[in-house]
Amino acid sequence: MNNREYFIEVDSYQGYKHNQLVGGDVFLSSKIKDENRIVSVLSDGLGSGIKASVLATLTATMASRFIVNYIDIKKSAEIIMNTLPVCRERKISYSTFSIVDIAHDSNIRIIEYDNPPYILLRNSQTVDVEKSKIKVKLRGKKESRLDFSNFNAEIGDRIILLSDGVTQSGMGSAAMPLGWGINELRKFVQNILNENSTISARDLAKSIVKRAMVNDSFRCKDDITCGVIYFRKPRELMVLTGPPISKDKDNTMAMMVNNFSGKKIICGGTTANIVARELNRDVKVNLKEIDPEIPPASSMDGVDLVTEGIITLGKVAQILENGVTGEPQNNNAAHRLLSYLLDSDIVNFVVGTKINEVHQDPNMPVELEIRRNVVKKIIKLLEEKYLKEAHLQFI
Amino acid sequence: MKKITIKICTGTACYVLGGANILMLEDYIPGEIKDIVGIEGSACLELCKQSQYGKPPFVVVNEKVITEATVPKILDYLNKLTGKDL
Repeated sequence: MNNREYFIEVDSYQGYKHNQLVGGDVFLSSKIKDENRIVSVLSDGLGSGIKASVLATLTATMASRFIVNYIDIKKSAEIIMNTLPVCRERKISYSTFSIVDIAHDSNIRIIEYDNPPYILLRNSQTVDVEKSKIKVKLRGKKESRLDFSNFNAEIGDRIILLSDGVTQSGMGSAAMPLGWGINELRKFVQNILNENSTISARDLAKSIVKRAMVNDSFRCKDDITCGVIYFRKPRELMVLTGPPISKDKDNTMAMMVNNFSGKKIICGGTTANIVARELNRDVKVNLKEIDPEIPPASSMDGVDLVTEGIITLGKVAQILENGVTGEPQNNNAAHRLLSYLLDSDIVNFVVGTKINEVHQDPNMPVELEIRRNVVKKIIKLLEEKYLKEAHLQFI
Repeated sequence: MKKITIKICTGTACYVLGGANILMLEDYIPGEIKDIVGIEGSACLELCKQSQYGKPPFVVVNEKVITEATVPKILDYLNKLTGKDL
């Protein structure tokens, strides 16, 4: 199976231990574009809060770098364990990790240390993979074992990574005195897939974490983290923004919207007007939707979302840069556009390069960036931080 | 009385130059004329690109373009149009 025939969706969801503002679990993914390879790491640091966060971040970052650079697994683990700062109270340095290395030919290597075992789902059924043990010598501890597995992914496969906050959720409660447990969790996941076999990585991770939080009665006893890797057919999105530089391209642009088979979004009032004129459709602004920051969205037949241009795109770039965690705070046009971007695998930007000179007036109360720069920034973030495939075309 | 149509531009330039505050216009329309006033949004009225119209934000009441529009400015014009002191 070649990487280009399908898309690898990687996403995670997290809940923090009750009364903690920082998570001690880290889920980190990196895409190595030249090699068409993805490396994801889930690490759980000792304790909770900042201290755990530092341990987990260090571990995840080191693990990811070592694996990306093909450093021997055993050696990597030893270096990590011997580098982590030692806890003053417990006199140990410790954090767990699960590393998933997805090669361009979809050969997958998974290395696990002390996290709950990953779950592999194929055709919506859990599959057991044979694991080999690797012995590692660690400072302070006599010897530890890593679990290593190697297999080839098939389309539709899902890999679920978990921190122990998930499997141990509900521990001590009357309903599950020993915690949720990996077996009950597997059943839970299978039930979700029976109901919705195409659930996105993001939604699946969210469902699992939300359920674990319910088990803990919303006062989580530990950080709860779930990362999901999903191999699937790509979902495509087209984002059209900006009028073409010359008027005779108007029709070309409108036809691109018309002929595109995936989801379609138009950002920009003039752009929307051009498409509406060329395709003989109406644009209706939804005046009921008033937001202090973002102009209201509009609707047009055959287009999934119509928004204002540069303010909305600027806001989206800002949110993407700051990181998307948890639920969107509101439902304005920027957040809706963001959801479409995050739910897609391949985003095609079609950017008209005509500049509205009024926007360049230095008397404008806010700085309005040049459209193509904002789009380039969004593309960079989508590719590097959110592992999406993005294309840019000027018109 | 004849119907009055008000179009508010929600394009970028209008929005940042004060158009955002006009979106609540409906709340300020006096009860007596509410029935004859219809308020719509426009993705962009395309007036900022034509310098003869002056500065954004733009609102169009029937055919009349109101430049640097504010809620009081629109209400004033509605007074003129209806011949009432609302």
